[in-house]
Amino acid sequence: MPPTGGVVITGIGMVTPLGATAAESAAAWREGRSAPRKPLPELAGTSLQDEGVALCPAFDAGKRLGGKRMLKYMSDAAVLGCVSAREAALAARMRERFQAERIGLFAGSGLAAASVQDVRPMIEGSIGSDGAFSSRLLGERGLPATNPLLSFRILANMPPCLVSIMEGVKGRNLIFTPWEGQTGAALVEAWRAVSSGAVDCALAGAGDNPAHASSFVYLRQGGWLREAEYPAAGAAYLVLEREETAQRDGQPISARVKRLSLDACSDGPSDPLSERLGRTFAAAPAILLALACLNRQSQASLCGADGQRFSVELEFGA
Amino acid sequence: MRRVAITGFGVVSPVGNGREAFWAALAAGRSGIAAITRFDAATFSVRLAGEVKEALELPASVADIAKDDPKVGFAYAAAAEALGQAGRSSLGENSLLHLATSLEIFDLRKVIIDGRADFQAVARRSLSGKGPALQIPLDTAARIIARDFGRPEQSLTNCSACAAGTQAVGHAFEAVREGRCEIALCGGFDSMLNPLGVGGFQLLGALTIENSLGGRACRPFDATRSGTVLGEGAAMFVLEPLEKAKAEGKTILAEVCGYGSSLDAHSLSAPDPEGEGAVRAMQEALQDARLAPERIGHINAHGTGTRLNDEIEAKAIRRVFNGHWERIPVSATKSMTGHLIAAAGAVELGACLLALHKGLLPPNPSLERVGPGCELDHVTTQRRFSGEYVLKNSFGFGGQNAVMVLRKHG
Repeated sequence: MPPTGGVVITGIGMVTPLGATAAESAAAWREGRSAPRKPLPELAGTSLQDEGVALCPAFDAGKRLGGKRMLKYMSDAAVLGCVSAREAALAARMRERFQAERIGLFAGSGLAAASVQDVRPMIEGSIGSDGAFSSRLLGERGLPATNPLLSFRILANMPPCLVSIMEGVKGRNLIFTPWEGQTGAALVEAWRAVSSGAVDCALAGAGDNPAHASSFVYLRQGGWLREAEYPAAGAAYLVLEREETAQRDGQPISARVKRLSLDACSDGPSDPLSERLGRTFAAAPAILLALACLNRQSQASLCGADGQRFSVELEFGA
Repeated sequence: MRRVAITGFGVVSPVGNGREAFWAALAAGRSGIAAITRFDAATFSVRLAGEVKEALELPASVADIAKDDPKVGFAYAAAAEALGQAGRSSLGENSLLHLATSLEIFDLRKVIIDGRADFQAVARRSLSGKGPALQIPLDTAARIIARDFGRPEQSLTNCSACAAGTQAVGHAFEAVREGRCEIALCGGFDSMLNPLGVGGFQLLGALTIENSLGGRACRPFDATRSGTVLGEGAAMFVLEPLEKAKAEGKTILAEVCGYGSSLDAHSLSAPDPEGEGAVRAMQEALQDARLAPERIGHINAHGTGTRLNDEIEAKAIRRVFNGHWERIPVSATKSMTGHLIAAAGAVELGACLLALHKGLLPPNPSLERVGPGCELDHVTTQRRFSGEYVLKNSFGFGGQNAVMVLRKHG
């Protein structure tokens, strides 16, 4: 059923290499700044040693999330996603205005990623005297040396599930992975669910951190990241609701969603953010939508590594 | 809105590959759980799993990937069987492909060079084009299926953990019902039966270590249950508008008539103690199907065999089906297949489909003494079934819940 109701965006949260908040990121983008890049020490001595990655500026995640208790379960991507989701939810006063059961969560999640430091004890403990991997030694020495929370940090649904726990979101949900088109699909589903009345409000977006050394190598090795492109960490979440609800509650509207869509693109990846921000992969469609809202850009699109184009059409009030 | 039919089903599972072998084992209460043979697990606390035992006939290009990532082969074989039963050789225009899976395989052997975990050496080898691919992205099966069975209009890879398979079919159901696509190939595929997958779950403490129990180690709702057992496999469905399928003379295997989805927002690893999220997902699915709870004739439980999950699921079922639950038979087929994680919901939905078709309910053969708080009408030996509606529960790690209702056709 095609969406019919008017859907608006009333909350935006974002963390990018350009800024630790939505406002900082959008202002830096407007000013034409580019993300600072730094080389990864793990890649010294490789052909990527001088090709930096773009990381997000340091911020106090515990402070922004109101406590540190859940941080031990979070990957870098999950931290970025949770902080963005909190910023969006606060801006929209989401928890005050909507019943938790009527808020949907529609999210993207990136490639599995772990730091070399996280997995090194397990790998080193599993190497036998013959120099080969031994599953016996993994059981005997590798696993006991491994952080038991590693699974929480690499399962693809965990970052959005952490968002649901942190923000108390209890409604319908969908999580897709790993490329841009899948997050684009999540955003389209969020728009459709709000428009059709399946939910009263949707928290939608993604966090991703392909700027780990192992991810960078894989992305270049697999041809997902072209020469001169670089990986970047980032996240954005948005709150979508029906226009009449926002008007009823006197909630400021950032943009009216005219259309979000996905279609096939055959010309290869094309991400307008990539030159100045880096490739944030799963996070890119949410960042694109957030920047378009904040910079009053009525149209934007990107074509992802999975050959799907995500297009945004927005309208703005006077 | 349109009614939605299942016109094709394919399955690869620890109890057998293909619809008939799968059903024969489930109906007979035959477990596919046994000692792990895929790798040497002698030093692991967990040494049992539900492995897919028979080799699959796969095109060479798929078999090559399946050597590194077996779940891709499972997905392909199940998809081919489902499309074949639906009389389709390709997906084509106005189609949706929605597949569920959980975790990329990470082969530790790939990151050891000359007896050392030397990441720089691994990186140099990989970047020179000589090394194996370090990762196999979760959309690999979707890309291969699209390549061989026609590019769908939309391709989705769902990663909602244990709820993913049911969520993928539920989303596809809504897309066909609302006219967003004319055909959907949907389902789940998974395998964590590799050293890191089993090891990771062992670290989480969710798996039973009662290895001596062999095929009876996974004991959903039993008083002595001590954890789940990992399994692997895939199940795929073809969904089409019911009237159109009938007009084309297709066999309607069942009608999909309700779907519900919710989040616990409680804990990453433990369900909401009151089962609120599970209750809401079941109620939403019943409401979507416009059914009073007493119309449900059978429930295939999520039933993992873990202490908390089973008790809370039983509590949630009793609450939703208050006054009726004593008369609704409940099966827990993970007792025989193990927990197939992202494929679990789809494989168990296949068990529901075949239960409707065959007029029999598969048992939970390892249930000997019902645990406190787990009281339901448990099916412990094969039972005849003539009901019209069945309900499938899937409650995921992370707090995602998905529930479906199927209706017998004809």
